[in-house]
Amino acid sequence: MKSHTCNHRMSRREMLTLCRNGFGSVALLGLMGSIPFGTKLLATTEKIAAAGGGTGLIPHFPAKARSIIFLYMDGGISQVDSFDPKPRLAKENGQNPYEKFEVQATQFNNIGKILKSPWDFRQYGDSGIWVSDLFPHIATCVDDIAVIRSMVSDFPEHTNANYFLHTGIGIQGRPSMGAWINYGLGSENEDLPGYVVLDGGLTPPGGLDNFKSGFLPASFQASIFNSGEMPLANIRPLENESAIQDQKLRFMQQMDQRLLGKIGHADQIESAISNYELAYRMQASVPELAAIAGETRATQNLYGLFSDDPNTRSYGAQCLLARRLVERGVRFIELTCPRVKADRWDQHQGLKEGHELNAHAVDQPIAGLLKDLKSRGLLEETLVVFACEFGRTPFAQGTDGRDHNPSAFSIWLAGAGIKAGTVYGMTDEYGYNVVENKTTIHDLHATMLHLLGVDHERLTYHFSGRDIRLTDVHGQVIKGILT
Amino acid sequence: MAKAIKIFSWPYLRWWMPLVVLLAAGFVVKPWGREKNFPGLPETPDYNYHIRPILSANCYVCHGPDSSSREANLRLDNFADATAPLEDGGFAIVPGNAARSELLRRVSSHDPDLQMPPPKAKKVLSETEIELLRRWIDKGAEWKTHWSFIPPEKPRLPRKLKKAGATAVVDYFIEKELENRGLTPSPEADKNVQIRRLSYLLTGLPPTPEEVSAFLSDSSDNAYEKVVDRLLDSPHFGERWARHWMDLVRYAESMGHEFDYNVGGAWHYRDYLIRAFNEDVPYNQLVVEHLAGDMLTSPRLSSAQGFNESVIGTAFFYMGEGKHSPVSIKQEEADRIDNMIDVTSKTFQGLTVGCARCHDHKFDPIPTTDYYAMYGMLESARFTPQPIGQTAADEEILAMLDRQQTAIRQKLGEQMMESLDKLKPLTPLLPPTPLPQTPTPKPKEQMSEEGNSYKILGDFRKGDFDGWYSNGFAFGDKPVGGKFLPDTNSCCLTAVSPPSASMRKYGPGIHGALRSPNFTINHDFIEVRAAGKNSIIRTVIDNFQLIQWPIYGDISKTIESEEMTNYRMDVAMWKGHKAYIEILPGLFDRHTYSLPSDAWAEVEYATAWTGTSPEMEVPRFLANIDPAVAVRNWMAGTATSDELHRINELLKNKKIQPSFKSVKKEVESWYKLTQKVYRPGYIIGFTEGDSVFSPVFIRGKVGQYSEFTVPHQFLYAISKDEKFSQKGSGRMAWAAAVTDPSNPLTSRVMVNRIWHYLFGRGIVETVDNFGLQGKLPTHPELLDYLAVNFVEEGWSMKKTIRHLVLSQAFRRSSEVISPNENADPENLSWHHFPVRRLEAEAIRDGILAISGCLDSAMFGHSVPIHLTPFMTGRGRPDVSGPLDGSGRRSIYLAIRRNFLSPMMLVFDMPMPFSTFGNRNVTNVPAQSLTLMNDPFVQEEAGYWAEKLLSTPASQEARIRSVYQQAFSREPTEEEKLQAENFLEKQADYYRSKGREAEVERQVWSDYCHTIFNLKEFIHLL
Repeated sequence: MKSHTCNHRMSRREMLTLCRNGFGSVALLGLMGSIPFGTKLLATTEKIAAAGGGTGLIPHFPAKARSIIFLYMDGGISQVDSFDPKPRLAKENGQNPYEKFEVQATQFNNIGKILKSPWDFRQYGDSGIWVSDLFPHIATCVDDIAVIRSMVSDFPEHTNANYFLHTGIGIQGRPSMGAWINYGLGSENEDLPGYVVLDGGLTPPGGLDNFKSGFLPASFQASIFNSGEMPLANIRPLENESAIQDQKLRFMQQMDQRLLGKIGHADQIESAISNYELAYRMQASVPELAAIAGETRATQNLYGLFSDDPNTRSYGAQCLLARRLVERGVRFIELTCPRVKADRWDQHQGLKEGHELNAHAVDQPIAGLLKDLKSRGLLEETLVVFACEFGRTPFAQGTDGRDHNPSAFSIWLAGAGIKAGTVYGMTDEYGYNVVENKTTIHDLHATMLHLLGVDHERLTYHFSGRDIRLTDVHGQVIKGILT
Repeated sequence: MAKAIKIFSWPYLRWWMPLVVLLAAGFVVKPWGREKNFPGLPETPDYNYHIRPILSANCYVCHGPDSSSREANLRLDNFADATAPLEDGGFAIVPGNAARSELLRRVSSHDPDLQMPPPKAKKVLSETEIELLRRWIDKGAEWKTHWSFIPPEKPRLPRKLKKAGATAVVDYFIEKELENRGLTPSPEADKNVQIRRLSYLLTGLPPTPEEVSAFLSDSSDNAYEKVVDRLLDSPHFGERWARHWMDLVRYAESMGHEFDYNVGGAWHYRDYLIRAFNEDVPYNQLVVEHLAGDMLTSPRLSSAQGFNESVIGTAFFYMGEGKHSPVSIKQEEADRIDNMIDVTSKTFQGLTVGCARCHDHKFDPIPTTDYYAMYGMLESARFTPQPIGQTAADEEILAMLDRQQTAIRQKLGEQMMESLDKLKPLTPLLPPTPLPQTPTPKPKEQMSEEGNSYKILGDFRKGDFDGWYSNGFAFGDKPVGGKFLPDTNSCCLTAVSPPSASMRKYGPGIHGALRSPNFTINHDFIEVRAAGKNSIIRTVIDNFQLIQWPIYGDISKTIESEEMTNYRMDVAMWKGHKAYIEILPGLFDRHTYSLPSDAWAEVEYATAWTGTSPEMEVPRFLANIDPAVAVRNWMAGTATSDELHRINELLKNKKIQPSFKSVKKEVESWYKLTQKVYRPGYIIGFTEGDSVFSPVFIRGKVGQYSEFTVPHQFLYAISKDEKFSQKGSGRMAWAAAVTDPSNPLTSRVMVNRIWHYLFGRGIVETVDNFGLQGKLPTHPELLDYLAVNFVEEGWSMKKTIRHLVLSQAFRRSSEVISPNENADPENLSWHHFPVRRLEAEAIRDGILAISGCLDSAMFGHSVPIHLTPFMTGRGRPDVSGPLDGSGRRSIYLAIRRNFLSPMMLVFDMPMPFSTFGNRNVTNVPAQSLTLMNDPFVQEEAGYWAEKLLSTPASQEARIRSVYQQAFSREPTEEEKLQAENFLEKQADYYRSKGREAEVERQVWSDYCHTIFNLKEFIHLL
């Protein structure tokens, strides 16, 4: 079957349906038989079709990044205790915030006094970026990262803020950023899905819908990889011996081919058959991917796999898996947080203990990931994003917690196309509101797409009567953090 | 309604005529020829079919109906504006003269300053598009109303078809177009394919081998028709078609978000749909019930049990998402209503009104005022628990309860009279002393100098509801006094009730609610004086229902004392918000409502105050009332407050002690009778509240409102009726506008959905979007014929389905005849029946049916979802359901938003957030992995194998049985041979491993497993 005749016979819809088969356009072309599996393709007409009629070729311009690792800090890290030092909080510790500034309603509305940070801040590296003692390992990597201190979100509740961060809209059911990216770019690996969530143990509020494909075809949703022997649902054959399954598959193929012979061309059935080949290969490739024991001891140590803290070990394993996924060309990898004793980063009380438990779990693994990527030359083509859904208040909730603050928070980015060692944006003296370079989630999304070579205004999908984008009708690339 | 539309339509020309001409000329819409002389381009392009698609795709964003984004004050979506003088001279369009039309100059220009669309839009018109515009302008630039806004009319039919019936008409239009295209359709499918197709599409289940062989051996002319009628009458029909509807109304049993709270009783609505489809409830009735089923004066009663079905219809409104403890409940209300507008407008009208939340619709004639008119109607409605199972007999029982209470009173009264007779010498009878002076009534509202203030929101001690709404039966039609709730633990009657809004009217456990009118919160506290058991008081602010910690815990109070108690709620945080108070027998447990059978409540008054709680007047009573008169009047049910007070004095002093013993039997029988109207099952649906008229939210933002409010009205593009009811929520008028036979969309949208579900693609492919951005119909005349016929046949969905499946078009083979493959690759002319993958539900149900594990029980609570280790997150159900879902059909599996069945999702069951009339059909490895490795599939294969082996039969007979069950056909000789080879190979393997004992079961299990994996099994041919 030649691809041009195939085009002829297929409606755009069927074409799209085919493109939707898990591995994006590469698989499509493979199915058509014109191009062997595994061939890397960057710009093809089929991709335009896959992009739902957006104009121009994807990538729209040369890409800096090939993959993204999104380190999701579930619950909201306190910016004034991590990357945005505020000496004034120490000076005014215990004073009434209402006398200092206009206090907005918070979720619990249990407004306490101004609360100084329990951690000291120090400057690190050539760039002299300030980092608190919460993150001693990440601090050693500051010359590779760009900190944004001026993030804002639209939502003060976890669920909506999560949907907003993950899908660009604060409601349930929209495509996740990983889904958008795979819809636009496809995967570079024909044996693995292009969007993987490494489940660290905590599913964010809002549930798995944070990782779904919404109105985009289901094939673009995340594959959730658990840690452990069976990382992906149904990836392990139930047959005790592979020969049994092999014989079944051979028989099935024989029967399916017979059906094709009988009814003639039926693209849908042909692609369903090819699907089995992919699934079969995944049965081998996914367990191989998860076999991190083969990494050197030094590497494992770098990620904290020998730590006394089981949470550091489990998050370290996820980070290492993330690198292995990047090596295999997976486009978008998100890591969720491990289940430490304190609930996520969401310290409405017990800030010191809770943030320390969380930080201890992720600090060494993340620093290890950055160093490992860099030493292997992968950091140049990988964008690493460290972000939460919102920040926390500079005043206490009760006496020793902090409530949600969507009006200012800090995130950082590292790797492909990022101006390393930069601090961008500024908050007021309390770290409560943004005063310079206000940056939205839409801006973050636009920037992520930009680094992948995608114009966020041109990556659209027609749904509900209009062309919808990840960035809705907003978003500007954050030029200030780009090389 | 129709009249307004006529203005736009030409009396003799029909909007589809040009298309027919084009088709007759063998014109194919795409692709255009590239040659300069444009062969195949129509001489007179049609606005709807050629011009609007160009303008809409390229121009309307800046020159369309949305005034907020309009550039250069130019709009091109109507004749008057597009032909008006331009701001800087000239005319965009000069009808009849393309050369003088600025539009044409601009779209053909290469000068970046002149060029349209401008370079930044990154859109360029093709030469063909420009040529079409040129011809259209030269021919007079005729604008037409969008096709779907013109009411359908029956197209002219050849005489021979006048009485031939709808099936013949379907084939006439399909064949007419095939002829126009010069195509010969595929032949009729063989009978095996026909019955499998029919069975899956009508019932979602495969035919049994017996049904197949009966059909094959039936040589009568109407053999096929008999199968169709049998399937239409099958109870499984409703299970299949209700699920289609559930896709439209985003049916769910939990609310998603952080904790995935229950939508209590959602399954009642699912069962309601199954019954409705099975009983072929007319579609217009179904629509009315969805929008206003709670308001019908003569509701539809279930055919089997006579209970009120209509009231269940509005339950779908409550099935949107629900946020845990939102910081802004006004925003939450806006988001919930937005979802309701989105779902109702897509489902019933095939329009995306949701776009008009922030601005006038960019493409469709839907202004923001349409959106906020609907918003006001939905904001006026209140959510309430609605009981399942109320019958027409309930009111008679209530009257009987009243009579029985009177009888009990008579008996007790007689006892009192006897006691009084004995007491007589002790009670000197003075004339009643008048009260010293009537106290000035307390003002309803007051503000003191110290800043204390209060407002009496309702005082029920004076004998009326003070403007509050009594819904349902519980509180009757006015406050009552003198009634009692018999306490079986105490021996004697100790008090009769003073007047209050009370459930003593009938008895405990009777559903209903008392609700205040809407008010604006202006005070710090709300206080309600009430007594009762297992009942609640809630302050419902901005219609917010998920009342709970951490923010909202204080605005709901459980009534837990049988003594009058003041319940105080701190509402200072929500000053300026709209609210109402709700007194409800029953409780919410994690937002699921239930009514204990002993629940009751009564309320004296409700106040709002700041500073100090207002001291309410204590009623004063006349002294020296003749107790005998008081008791006699009480027996007759006419005692005044003073007389009731007198009786209570006597009871309190134990001067009289009527014993319950003497009325034990009557009380027991009365109590028993209350249980006859006790309804344990509830859905949350709509009830009426105050009319609310919404302002326009500027750019859709909460907090930024227009100065005017929008009257309740229906979509402007369809109905410009100014007499739309402004009473109540307006939902009845809304329902009437949707089901008006002249509504151009309702019938078209529904018959198109039916066509889509049967044929796999709608006549209008975009089944949920009939607006300007939707696809044009492939067979406009046929669509209109079916729409009109649908209404003429009493909106019967089954009749329409029957007409379609009886057609030749439906019965065609899926094999494609080779010339057709190139002439019409998209099968727009329906030259063959398209091969399609079965839906998630049909695949799973088919597996169960074949393995012999299907439990065909209908209705009831959903089966909890089976939880895998991959299904994590907050709100995870405590218990995992069985792997096989107890063998129940998939429609009975729980739909929990955050914990949807992975197998259903992987095979494209939509996530329930919006209307999905057209499911995706994807092809992902997870599907293969599920069928290959999911324990459910393997387990069922094992059961099937056991079933096959349970009766003695030859290997060949068993293979034949497998084919009959899975594919509704006999295996070919070659297939039999291949199966035998496979069985032998597997057996060899197991034997080689020394597993002799299990060989037979294993090899058949393996074989059955492969069958579930075959493409023929998961596809319809």
